[in-house]
Amino acid sequence: MIIEAHGLRKTFHAKRGRGKTEEVEAVRGIDLAVEKGEIFAALGPNGAGKTTTVRMLATFIAPTAGTARVAGFDVVKEAARVRENIGYVSQAGGVDENNPGIDQLLLAGRIAGLSKKAALARADELLAAFSLTEIARRPARTLSGGQKRRFSIALGLVTAPPLVFLDEPTTGLDPQNRANLWDEVRALRDRGTSVLLTTHYLDEADALCDRLVIIDNGTVVAEGTPASLKKEVAGDVVTLRLKGVDEAAEALRAQSYVKEVRTEEGLLRAYLDDGEHGLPHLLRVLEERDLTLESISLDRATLDDVFLRHTGRSLRDAA
Amino acid sequence: MIRQTSLFLGYELRFLLRNPVWPLFGIMQPVLYLVFFAPLLGRTTASGSMPEVLAMFTPGSMMMIALFGSLFAGFGMINETRNGVLERLAVSPAWPPAIILGRVAKDMLVLVVQAVLVMGVAILMGLRIGLPEFLIMLLLMAVTGLFAASLSYGLALAIKDENGVSQLVQFFAMPLTLIAGLFLPVSLGPDWLQTLARFNPLYYGVEAGRSLFRGDLGDSTIPIAFALLIGLALITLVWSMRSLRRLAA
Repeated sequence: MIIEAHGLRKTFHAKRGRGKTEEVEAVRGIDLAVEKGEIFAALGPNGAGKTTTVRMLATFIAPTAGTARVAGFDVVKEAARVRENIGYVSQAGGVDENNPGIDQLLLAGRIAGLSKKAALARADELLAAFSLTEIARRPARTLSGGQKRRFSIALGLVTAPPLVFLDEPTTGLDPQNRANLWDEVRALRDRGTSVLLTTHYLDEADALCDRLVIIDNGTVVAEGTPASLKKEVAGDVVTLRLKGVDEAAEALRAQSYVKEVRTEEGLLRAYLDDGEHGLPHLLRVLEERDLTLESISLDRATLDDVFLRHTGRSLRDAA
Repeated sequence: MIRQTSLFLGYELRFLLRNPVWPLFGIMQPVLYLVFFAPLLGRTTASGSMPEVLAMFTPGSMMMIALFGSLFAGFGMINETRNGVLERLAVSPAWPPAIILGRVAKDMLVLVVQAVLVMGVAILMGLRIGLPEFLIMLLLMAVTGLFAASLSYGLALAIKDENGVSQLVQFFAMPLTLIAGLFLPVSLGPDWLQTLARFNPLYYGVEAGRSLFRGDLGDSTIPIAFALLIGLALITLVWSMRSLRRLAA
């Protein structure tokens, strides 16, 4: 186990006007268990407490309550040992705009105890691995978003840590850079590095991670592999747009092949284990009741359906 | 610890060497004052000779670089509280005080080099100063820079807002300048101004400089200035390091 957290909590005291403070419970008791060598994702909407959780695990802030061991060391009592064993890539990136990437890689290596020669060798290695060699000497402010992001990840890997935290690694990247970054994260795992990443992208968690937790409002609402979580919901989702949603829902709930029905205004979602076979039956039921459809779609269940089931709202709508 | 500090110092100096122009702009202000303002001060000294005027005026113009240069040193760090650089360093194996110490050491070095250039201009204009006084003056500038830069980093990390810091620094810089007798010695002024000046650490810095430039090494303002500035530098240094630790709150 590379990360073991029990009951992590963080309460911030935000100043609100003169003398008044407001308590903000960013994280309200999170348990985590991350195995060595896996890509583990924390999926959740903005403000769910993902970044605060990662910051506690990376020793940047101390938990208000709870304990956590990272790479075998306590994040509060043995923070220095934790820091020797992690790479931390914050959402902001941590790239110094005024200086060339190579200087920052060298400094990061030297402060971690590498000799000049070793730091240079490690920097060259990382520059090559992330295709940054050509632009290593340019001030970072002249680089593109994708290049900067690769530098920020390279900076987190200078010490070749067994565990890397990536906080929202692909936010703001175009689709191609995003796909490339996914490959790089997978390559990290292939070399034996454990990765904890946070994301609010459903497809990212689905495509990239071995296991994940869904975090909402500072707590873990679901945990498992992407496949097992989706299986809990159902194999497929039939989304219907029609008048008389309530009547349709009632009729469909009575059908044995429908696992669950959810409704919103003018919209009905029916969860089926086998959509291809269930759909004709389902249509017949609606026809018998003279319910006319405006539109229909059949999709594989996604992590959004998992999120919807556990929180009652869609991750797309959650702010 | 020294290794870590020198690593950060080296990183900062490499940046400076790539962009050596900016600190030169910093000495334009005092040099302009020396060239265009000092000649107006003939009547304020006993003999009115240029060397005497320069001995009175040069220390003040040097303190000016500290006030309007080193006090703004923390500006760059405000951005680093947001772009994740400090966050990254805070959870790196770096010895945390070195993050501040390396930068402060760079600012001290810059201020000393600027001081040498300003004194060089003053000497070209006719200032006469002995080598020991020259070296002690540089030491005094180093200590002033240590204080001003630490204060600036402390403010930057505590306020984390460019507008707030610049307003605050301007707000303090002007009265400190006037009450220190930066341009003209406060001894020319009324008693209440002289009393007020004694509460301004900068006043001792300027007066110590004037004593040095007069060749009066025994003057009491010199040890007072050193003690005061070193004391204040240590307090602000500790403050800025603590602010760095509380960055996330």
